[in-house]
Order: sequence, then C-alpha cells, then structure tokens
Amino acid sequence: MVISDRITGAVIAALGAAAAYAGSRLPPVPGQQVGPSAFPTVIGLGLVVCGVLVALGIGRSFEDEAEADVAASEEAKGLEHVPPARLSWLRAAIPPGLLLFYVYAVDALGFVPTAAVMILALALAFRGSLRVALPMAVLGPILVHLLFYKLLRVPLPPGLVPMPW
Amino acid sequence: MTTFLEALGMVAAPDVLLAILVSAIYGLVVGSMPGLSATMATALLVPVTFYLSPIAAVATIITASAMAIFSGDIPGALLRIPGTPASAAYVDEAYAMTRKGQPELALGIGLWFSALGGIAGTISLVVLAPTLAELAFSFSTFEYFWLAILGLMCATLVARSSPIKAIAAMLIGLLVSCIGMENPGGIPRFTFGSTDLLGGIEVVPALVGAFAVSEVMRALLLPEPPKMPHRRFGSIMAGQIRLTKQYWNQMTRGNIVGIIIGVLPGAGADMAAWVSYAMSKRFSRTPEKFGTGHPEGLVEAGASNNASLASGWVPSLLFGIPGDTITAIAIGVLYMKGLNPGPTLFTERASSMYALYIIFMLANIIMIPLGIMMIRATSHVLRAPRAAIMPIVLVCAAVGAFATGNNLFAVTVVAAFGVIGFVMEANGYPVAALVLGIVMGTMVEQSLVTSLIKSDGSLLPFFERPVSAILAVMTFAALLWPAGVWLHRRLGRRGRAQAA
Repeated sequence: MVISDRITGAVIAALGAAAAYAGSRLPPVPGQQVGPSAFPTVIGLGLVVCGVLVALGIGRSFEDEAEADVAASEEAKGLEHVPPARLSWLRAAIPPGLLLFYVYAVDALGFVPTAAVMILALALAFRGSLRVALPMAVLGPILVHLLFYKLLRVPLPPGLVPMPW
Repeated sequence: MTTFLEALGMVAAPDVLLAILVSAIYGLVVGSMPGLSATMATALLVPVTFYLSPIAAVATIITASAMAIFSGDIPGALLRIPGTPASAAYVDEAYAMTRKGQPELALGIGLWFSALGGIAGTISLVVLAPTLAELAFSFSTFEYFWLAILGLMCATLVARSSPIKAIAAMLIGLLVSCIGMENPGGIPRFTFGSTDLLGGIEVVPALVGAFAVSEVMRALLLPEPPKMPHRRFGSIMAGQIRLTKQYWNQMTRGNIVGIIIGVLPGAGADMAAWVSYAMSKRFSRTPEKFGTGHPEGLVEAGASNNASLASGWVPSLLFGIPGDTITAIAIGVLYMKGLNPGPTLFTERASSMYALYIIFMLANIIMIPLGIMMIRATSHVLRAPRAAIMPIVLVCAAVGAFATGNNLFAVTVVAAFGVIGFVMEANGYPVAALVLGIVMGTMVEQSLVTSLIKSDGSLLPFFERPVSAILAVMTFAALLWPAGVWLHRRLGRRGRAQAA
C-alpha cells in the first residue's frame, strides 16, 4: 500500500504537533523544572520537522537509489514487476483481522477452535489447497496447545474443546 | 578460574544444553525459510524464554540467531532468494556458484566462514566488553543520554532508505515508549483513558507485530517462491581449509569489519555483509570475477555477518544499547531475567558472563555438524508451502504475545504493530528504527530527564564533560552525514557536467 510522501509526511507532522501539544499540557512534578512533559514535547517537535521535510520530498534521492538497487536485482531474477491489482493490498488485512478475531473469540470458543479457524482462513488466503489446509487446521492448534499449555504452562482458555491434558 | 568453572557448570546443566540444541534446530529451519528472518525467529522465541532459567533463556537467543544468520545463506545459494536479509548482499555470487555446479562449495563457504566469523566475534566480545566496562563505570546520565541518541542515529544512518524517514520512524518509536505510567511524573500519559494502556506498550508484542505479522502480511501480496529442486550434495566441507589459507587476509578483514559494525549501536549483520562484500570487491586483485561465482567475496561477507552478531552484544551488555535488532530483543530478555545490562554485570555476575561466552563458542562449533545436516535436509524442509508455515507463524505470534502477560490486549498490540510495520515498510519508513525507538525510549527519557534535573534545566553540562562532548560531536556528525553525502554527490555531478 504505497501512499504519497505528501500524505505520510502530513500525517507525521500532525501526529508530532498533537504529541507536542498534549505532552506540553501534562502536569509537572511539583518542585521540579523538568517532568513528564519534556520528552514528548521534544519528540513531537522533531516529528513535525521530519514530517514537513518528508512532505517536501527532501531525502527522496536516498530512497530512489535503494529502490533502483531492488529493481535491478528483480530484473536480474527475471521477475517482471507486475503492478498489483487496485485493491489487492486489502488481502494484507487478513492477518491482523484474524488476530482481532482471536482477541474477541478465544474466551468464548477456546484456544483450539479459534486457532483452527485462523489457520484454515490464512492457509486458504495463501491459496493452499484444502488437502493442506484442513490437516494443518486440525493438528496445528493441538501441537501449539501442547507446547504452550503443557510445556510452558500458559493458561490458554479451554472453551468448547478442552484438551485432555 | 573458579568463576570459569562455575560458568562451565552453568552451561553444562541439562536444561541449558537441551535449550541450545532445540533452538539451534529451530534457528536453522526458520532462517532457511525465505520471508522468515533471523530477527523474526528471535522475536517469536522471546515468550518461550519467559519460562526458562536465565542462562537457558540467553542461550536460546544466542544460538537461534547465530544459526538463522548462517542458514539464510542456504536458499540464497540454491534459489537466489535470501533466507534472511543478512544474506542478501551476496546471493547473486552464491547462486552463480550453484549454477557453475558448485553448490557444495557455496554452502560450505557459508557454513565454515560463518562459524569462524562467529568465533572471531566471540573473541572480540570477550576482549572488548570487560575493557570497555572499566570506561563505562565513569559514565554518568549525560554520557548515557548521548550514547543512546548516537545509537539511534546510527540505526537511522544504516537504513537503506531516506534518512529523514528513518529518523521519523525512530521518533515514532520513542513516542510509543511514552505511553503509560512509567514516566518521571508517574502520571498516565497518552493513555486515552484506556486501562490497558496504563502499563504502556510492551516491547515484545510490538516486536512480534512489527517483525512477524507484517512479514506474513507482505507475503500475502507476493507470489509463492519457486520450489527447491531435489538435489544430492557432495562433501560440503571439502576444500574449506584450502580456501581459509588462500583467503586468510580477506577473512580477517571481514571479521574485523563485522566486529566494528556489530559494536556500533543499531547496525547489524545485514549491514556488515553489505559493507564487507563491497570492500572485498574494492580491494580484490580480480574484481572482474565478482558476480561470476568467485569465492573471495563470499568468504569475506560470510565471515563478516556472523562476526557482527557476537560483537553486537558488547553495547547491549554494557550500556543496554542494542547493537542490532536481535540484541534489541535480547536486552528485553536480559532485563526479564534479572541480568540487567550495565558494567556491574561484569563484576557482580562474572560467572554468567563467562557462561554467555561459552554458549557463543558452543553455538558456533555445533553450527558445523548441524549446518551440514540442515543443508542435506534442505530440499525437504523448503518444500513446505507458505500456506502451511505462515498460519502457524500467525498463531504462534498470537499465543506468544498472550504468554508475555496472560493478557489479550497484547494480541491487539501485535495486530496493531503488524499494520503499522506493514504500512511503514511499504512507504520506505524502516521498521528496525521504529523498534529501536520503542526499546530504547524509556532509557533515553530517563537519562535526559535525570540529566536535566541534575543540571537545573541547563543544556551546558551535556557538552562539558569530555566523554559526553565527544559523543555529542559524533551524534551531530551522524545527523549531518546524509546532508554531507547529498551535497558531495550534488557537487560531483555539477563538476562532471561542467567538465563535459
């Protein structure tokens, strides 16, 4: 997901301004000149400067060079650079989405079913065949459960399918 | 001597030896898989180290990272895809050798010179760390502040990206470290009323998100790498002794460069490999042979990246300033295990330090037999499709983050940092700089605020003490370096245009 430098620079500058403002309003420690506000204020101001410089395209030449290196090595590999389809980067949202699913479902469903859903979904997203994905989804969570619950004693929620150990 | 024997006893404990063996195999397998880097291997190990004894925990990190850096060479040589970024500098050379029908030689060089480089790095650690510890005893918060900032600046310099974006990424990391109650005032800062944020952003979930989940996300957008052809290998170690004699100078130079880059805060194995490969070509008597399957550059760069790994522990152990992303993770483990970095580690916990040296040696020695086994098993290991590996990585990221505090909020942090890491990387903001910022934030703030309180708000004492003045000058030089490079290039171009 490539965003123009103008936008990322503006976002960083805005973030820095917000941090500097919010940081400077933090209550001081009584009797001290420097308190919890000093550090975020300094960082915020630094981010404003960086954000503006990025938006102005300063330092771009260093990146062009690195990109040229990468492009050259890909060309040498015979990989043609195919521009990705417009919304294909949305596929990248699958892993974080599955993690959030884990957060909200694991207490109700239990570890093994939740992890099985995650594995199945991601394996299919990687265009794995069901012949690979299904056994992975069944065996993977049980192995991970054995390792973390039994060996490392992490209290994974049992939920609907408690394990015999 | 008694300390040494004590240390030997610590390492010889069955749990430590088992931890070394298992993490060695783990490191070899993960490092050899394209898309799973050595840093990611280490990040995913951290939750496991929670449940081990201190020495076993440190041993897993050391062993797994050393193995992963070597085994990244395997797919590089056979498929022209680096298994870890540290192998990227010389994949073309190694692959050219495979195409000439000498894959054994390419892999053997990777293995043999990695092990020798690791041992050279360990020796540097043994020699340098106690020497520098003497110096570190005289450091005050002013020096620590500059040292931390210098480390962060080095990290932004070596990122192969725009230095301004790298600094921005580093500052965002520092900002993240501001979240929570752990600040000079002990008040909730940037918590937005959330109780989960009161404790701040934990480093481990952030690391796992930024290094593992973002990698899984990126892999979803890339085509599946080609399958490894079945291959029978001849003798892997044949001819290595001859090469060692022939390229002794190159190897030594690689070791030294690797050690120096490792000691520099923020720069790690991948940088060491790039610099050494370029240096080898520059000083070679036969630079035209480079890129055609010539062993010279491989020897030097292979010796360099593993050497940097051990010397990266020097600033980490002494000052708590990571030498690279792997030691950034290791520092977290050290704190967790009560081995708080600092010069006192070398006086009060001397036996633990000796144990650490022994583990480094051991890891680099067992690398040779285990590495040969791994090379022979490669065609089986690398046949595993991404559809089978990536889902397991994701589940381990979730469970591992949860295990750090038995808290589901950590899993949300993993998801968030996965997205942040992915978006940043796609737009040229180096993730390593972000992570170093998060890891070092608390230390930077503490040394800054304590120094300012000591000096009554005056900035002058930051430049008055001799060591602190030198460090300050180095920091500003690092800050202005990219501008100098840009100017130099600009003038050079104009000069050439005028001459034409």
